[in-house]
Amino acid sequence: MIDEKILKTAKQTIVEQKKDPAVELVQKALSDGIDGMELLTEGFIPGINEVGDQFGRGTLFLPELVQAADVMKAVTDLINASLPSQDGPQEKGKLVIATVKGDVHDIGKCIVVSLMQANGYTVFDLGRDVDTERIVEVAIKEDVQVIGTSALLTTTMVRQKELEEALKSAGIRDKVRTIVGGAPVTARWAAKIGADAFAEDAQDGIAKVRELLGA
Amino acid sequence: MDQFFHRMGDGSAVQMTAKQIMADLVEGSEDAADRGKIPPLAKEEYDYLLDIFCSPHKFISVEPGREVILTYDAATLKIRRVGVHVDRIQALQIYEKIMGADTMELAHVDYSYKPVKPIATFEQPILEQALLATHIPLFYGAQPNLGLYSQPDGPFPNPSELMPMGKIKEAQESYEAALEDLVKDIVFVGSLMYESGADGINLDTAGAAGDADFLATLIATEKLKAKYPDICIEIGMAGEFVLGMHSQLTYKGERLAGMYAHQQVKMAEAAGATIFGPVSNTNTSKSAAWNLARAITFMKACGEIANIPIHPNMGMGVGGVTVNDQPPVDVVSRSSAAMTTLCRLDGL
Repeated sequence: MIDEKILKTAKQTIVEQKKDPAVELVQKALSDGIDGMELLTEGFIPGINEVGDQFGRGTLFLPELVQAADVMKAVTDLINASLPSQDGPQEKGKLVIATVKGDVHDIGKCIVVSLMQANGYTVFDLGRDVDTERIVEVAIKEDVQVIGTSALLTTTMVRQKELEEALKSAGIRDKVRTIVGGAPVTARWAAKIGADAFAEDAQDGIAKVRELLGA
Repeated sequence: MDQFFHRMGDGSAVQMTAKQIMADLVEGSEDAADRGKIPPLAKEEYDYLLDIFCSPHKFISVEPGREVILTYDAATLKIRRVGVHVDRIQALQIYEKIMGADTMELAHVDYSYKPVKPIATFEQPILEQALLATHIPLFYGAQPNLGLYSQPDGPFPNPSELMPMGKIKEAQESYEAALEDLVKDIVFVGSLMYESGADGINLDTAGAAGDADFLATLIATEKLKAKYPDICIEIGMAGEFVLGMHSQLTYKGERLAGMYAHQQVKMAEAAGATIFGPVSNTNTSKSAAWNLARAITFMKACGEIANIPIHPNMGMGVGGVTVNDQPPVDVVSRSSAAMTTLCRLDGL
């Protein structure tokens, strides 16, 4: 059981985006024999969750989000490196994320990518205006577990349905989970096209990936 | 216990009890109050909202004498988007003469100031013809759309690519450079259209690309107002709070990132805007009651502090309206009636 004060400090280093103090905290904790995984799950991860929540409320902004993600990556790398070989480094999951063909909106997608990376997922960000075939191709090549697509227009949402069909044609629909998001996209649309989940926003996307992967 | 027809934010139909609806009304309002640091709704306001949600009538309206003006953005595009093949002037006439619009906006299909700039002189005669063919105040409008100024659509490095690489300063500098070009384009197009006789200039979905987008809108408004003191400028927002994509930009000493409607309107006023269109976004996983109470809480705070007319955005995904391609009349009428009854506003 880690001292509450250490966990609180760990959380604060993420929320306040303080990389050096975060790294020093991990190094000292590990040298003191503290369980790195517990420090990560009880200290740093609540910190990045707080960052996501504040971002959604408009009290913390993209540059801070990116810096918090950078701090998170630094501490995660350190902790993973300290784990015995059979315990890690643990890969939480691999995702492909893209804004669908015909749609050039990438602000929301960029935020999702930052938060996913901050939460320890490996993300293949294909950018915007991406062909459905390209999404399938990368999903197969990188052996991802989740495909997340964003569509900001009612006229481009149909590409998310096209992806479902393309995954079936490629014979990998049962091997990947799909999440859809974007302003006009709803849970009802996700159910209608056969997607596995709908994400209301970036933070909800994290929750849905956790549910789908159990990690 | 009686069940009432209700909708979720994605438009799907559900049955809810009066107790469940009231609980969602309170929760929605308190969410807005917490986020915006503004007061939640009062008991009589919750009671009114419960009444309209429990009403068996499909359509809800306001008492005679409490009507407000209805104004439309980008409607010349919307008629054609649904497959009605008319030209833009005919679209404006349909809105005015058949649908009862009080103001309208002529817009180009690209609906952004940047692509309008090279064809502005072709837009001018259409605007002039449209003014002759209609009676209601006619705006010319488009989106500021700062995203068009970064690569691959524009000359500046793409902040959405720089940020994930940790190049925060470079991303911020790119936003700062891009917003200067955007200001020039808005002022250029706005000037030509005003000189052609437009009754107003609409800057629609301001802040869509974040705080730099909003700042450019404010500066362009200021410049147009200085150039033409009598010009009418409407600023309509893109979202309920200003996304901090740059995060450090200020206007009149106030940080723009994270501003909600009641703070945004003060910036619009300071810039010289004539009308302000605030936004509250619909959460598709919550009920219509939750969303409407939340929207009204935000809009009420905005209206009470505003010294210029406000026209809250009402439509697919905003103003408590559900996210449907064709928003259902039950929810549109309830949202519009409640907004008009409970908020200090001048139009929708």
